Amino acid sequence: MKKLSLGLCLAATVAGGIATTSAALADTGFPNNLRIVIGSKSTGGDTYQNTAIVAEALAEKLDINVKVDAVGATAAFKTLKRVSNGSTIMMFHDQSYLGYLYGRKGYENPFEEYRIGPTVSINPGSAYLVAQGSPFQGLDELMTACADGTDIRVAIQPGGVSEIGYSAMKNAIRIEHPGKEGCLVAVNRGSQSDKNQAMFDGLADLIHGSVQANEQYTRLPADDQKAMRFVWLTARNQTIQQANPEGMGQTSREDLLQYVEPNVSVTQDGEKNFTFDKEFFFLFNKDMDPALIEELDQALTEIFAEGEIQETQKTSFFIPNFMPSAEAEAYLKDKMSQYATIIDALHN
Amino acid sequence: MDVLSALDPLFFVLISAGAAIGIVFGAIPGMTATMAIAVCLPLTYALDLNHGLALLLGLYVGGISGGLVPAILLNIPGTPSSITTTFDGYPMCQRGEGERALKIGVVSSLFGGLFSAAVLFLFAPVLSDFAIKFSYVEKFLIIFLALTVIASLSRNLLMGLFSGLIGVWLALIGTYDVSVGGNGDTRLMTEAMEPYLSEGFSLLPVLIGLFGVAAILKEAEQGIRENTEGMRITLEKGARFSLGVFRNQGVNLVRSGVIGTFIGMLPGVGGSAASVLSYTQQKNFSKAPEKMGTGVPEGVVASESANNGLTGGALVPLLSLGIPGDSTTAVMIGAFTLQGVQVGPLFIGENLETWNTMMVALVFANLVMFAIMFFAIKYVARVVMVPKYLLYPIIMIMCVVGAYAINYGVMFDVWTLLLFGLGGYLAGKVGIEIAPLVIGFILGGQAEVYFVKSLESFGTYTIFFTKSPIAMVLWGLIVLSIAFSVYNLVKASRRKTQEGGA
Amino acid sequence: MGLSDLFEVRIVFDESHLFFPRIIQGLLLAMALVIVVVRGIPTLRAVWAGHRTWPVMDGPFDHLRFFGTLGLTVAYFLLMPPVGEMVPNTGLGFLIVSIPYMAALSVLYLHRRDRRTLLLAMANALIAPVAVWYLLARLLNVTLP
Repeated sequence: MKKLSLGLCLAATVAGGIATTSAALADTGFPNNLRIVIGSKSTGGDTYQNTAIVAEALAEKLDINVKVDAVGATAAFKTLKRVSNGSTIMMFHDQSYLGYLYGRKGYENPFEEYRIGPTVSINPGSAYLVAQGSPFQGLDELMTACADGTDIRVAIQPGGVSEIGYSAMKNAIRIEHPGKEGCLVAVNRGSQSDKNQAMFDGLADLIHGSVQANEQYTRLPADDQKAMRFVWLTARNQTIQQANPEGMGQTSREDLLQYVEPNVSVTQDGEKNFTFDKEFFFLFNKDMDPALIEELDQALTEIFAEGEIQETQKTSFFIPNFMPSAEAEAYLKDKMSQYATIIDALHN
Repeated sequence: MDVLSALDPLFFVLISAGAAIGIVFGAIPGMTATMAIAVCLPLTYALDLNHGLALLLGLYVGGISGGLVPAILLNIPGTPSSITTTFDGYPMCQRGEGERALKIGVVSSLFGGLFSAAVLFLFAPVLSDFAIKFSYVEKFLIIFLALTVIASLSRNLLMGLFSGLIGVWLALIGTYDVSVGGNGDTRLMTEAMEPYLSEGFSLLPVLIGLFGVAAILKEAEQGIRENTEGMRITLEKGARFSLGVFRNQGVNLVRSGVIGTFIGMLPGVGGSAASVLSYTQQKNFSKAPEKMGTGVPEGVVASESANNGLTGGALVPLLSLGIPGDSTTAVMIGAFTLQGVQVGPLFIGENLETWNTMMVALVFANLVMFAIMFFAIKYVARVVMVPKYLLYPIIMIMCVVGAYAINYGVMFDVWTLLLFGLGGYLAGKVGIEIAPLVIGFILGGQAEVYFVKSLESFGTYTIFFTKSPIAMVLWGLIVLSIAFSVYNLVKASRRKTQEGGA
Repeated sequence: MGLSDLFEVRIVFDESHLFFPRIIQGLLLAMALVIVVVRGIPTLRAVWAGHRTWPVMDGPFDHLRFFGTLGLTVAYFLLMPPVGEMVPNTGLGFLIVSIPYMAALSVLYLHRRDRRTLLLAMANALIAPVAVWYLLARLLNVTLP
């Protein structure tokens, strides 16, 4: 039985290789070999995983080969600008406009330089954590302490999805305690391990992390130097609601909901609570044939209607979130303008 | 008992297939274990977790090990961590001892791999608690310690240090990357260069350019004289491999294995530092340090047992902190997530069965790697008999493949090859030394981040001395290492003047 | 001012990308000066006095093979992407351009161009790229131009 399955597996690989050579011309405007470049250089990260899931479904639906290349943001944008025939498209997340808002090198306004395509999923895991033994119980205590003049150091990766939550907290302090926002200090770090390390070294009071990477740390015994606690998940309440009830690890969906607004509130403008969902979406060359975009919208509509992809996404703790191009573009444009207001308020 | 049920024939077949594919990737200059894993990752979707991991671990071990083949036979490091293997492996090969060098390398790799697997199995949680004691300050000192090898590798101290600095400078070109905590601004370039250089020069294209392309250009200048007949004769004259080589290498093996495993454990410090560091230490403690770099087995032993020591080492933070120790294990995190398994400080306790099967897979992968390589070597070593007019074009296209594929399709990386090929060729003419330059280039980026971030956090230079007892111990090692290399240099130059006088 | 102030340093994050490069450039400059004094001046004198030639100029130089290699390689790199874009994302650009490149390079490097060696060179130029392309681009899906 096992031998057979191996044989099948190998045969499938070889066949997959040959199939491309002899693939019958499929009924699609896309070339037989579609390349999706992503804005991340990691083949282990969430961008790659989300793209791989969608790529597999698309390959089957359109009967073409789809390949995901982790070239990184700069190279991906550059390729996208150059190739307009639809043989290369891009998948990335909110970083594509946040990088622009934060003025990072290599980022331009994606709504002007590219076409925004359909959204496919959300990574709901963006989280802020304190050390288990931290004197601060919740985010409100941290922000109050800050307003009272204590420096609160937050470990983040600057210039993007990791910084937006920090900017939101700073903005909330600015609104509720004008002039005190300077007490929230960024500790600029790189990878998740660097941010964790900043906490272990006692250089940060609060770190940006994720449900996926940090959940086990929250279950360590209190006397462990590495133990942490969640204080805030930036996701929308309704996003977490859609996760599988088991949640992540031993932390159930119910547990996770405690850390989402309205239970934890960071005000955006004095009335509404700030939320941030990391949403994955396609980007196209500005001059790409609209018929191709329509075809992709259509294919994804069918894929999501079949319902299988949602299960795959949820198993990996991603939230299905399909919006066709037009809807996605309007939605993301609005999202960007809200965050632009926050970032502008802090820099002026 | 559950463990046994996971160990079906397919499990072992997958490890073997993984190791074989991994070796091929490792042996192609510019293709790495990371790439092997990324390429085969989609295959694991169809497998369950244990089988998927079997394939990935086979690829990992094979990929890390395969790098020694081109390092020894062609003087091109197949992976960055086999850079120090070229220092002694290639001179051995030129003397007709290619097969011997390869076998020494493979045996050392096996030792390093098994040693680190044992360490991983026995001490993972304890070690990860130790590893997090290393903050930026201590990591900077480790990099600094590895950089001291420049002093002992240089033929001329002044030019060697200068070359090392050039290497560091080249590494800084590009963005101070936010993914390591930088501010994302570019430096050392003009606006016009930004579209190409904003990510800086990629490590592997630079390495294969400096080693592979530069060597071909140098040969072209000399007119590509064929010497297969001469090679045949030296090949027959060359010393044969025997396990006796390892008689005096026990300390070296263990020390290098420890260094490899330990460096592998430190997230972010990564592979190349491990073999560089263990090569430095071997040179410092060697009975005949002046011979290192001229083709002695101990150099190959130090380098290869350290870089395979990485495999177990890098799995320590992955499995006990949920943090990858190097870029290859970073891809593995993806495999875990796709199977719905979470890695983190509680992974081992919550997934005992997976943990045990992984250990079996790791050990078996090392054995398979050894079996495949040890017996294939006899044929692979014949590469030196291939006439240059056939071999060099092959090397060129393989370099292109590696360079283009390393970042999943960036043409600038291919141009980097030629740029550094030409640069390396010209540098040799004006006395700039390639080995120190490369080491500076490999370690420069990390040196910057750890140095600048330490100062950013603590605001004083004294922190490097006072941070922790670990820092003080590291300073002790640095001082020793510099003292040793100065002592050796003085001894060597004194001998030279004596010989000149006689 | 105490001793500890001497070691104090304040790094502004927005400027931190220049901190380390400045140190390295300073060191490079200092070392370059030392090298000019210690090595450059004696060499210059020796060349001036006619005791030796410029180090770059010594030895025989095979202009044809050296510049031939460079020229062919530049042409090879230039041609690959446009050819590859004719059949996007298949790696065919690599395959199609590699074959003539390898053939030309082999012929350039040959000293005795007889039937046997030429045949070998052609076979090599054909088989190697096809094998590489099939194994990597087709079977393993590695991205090639």
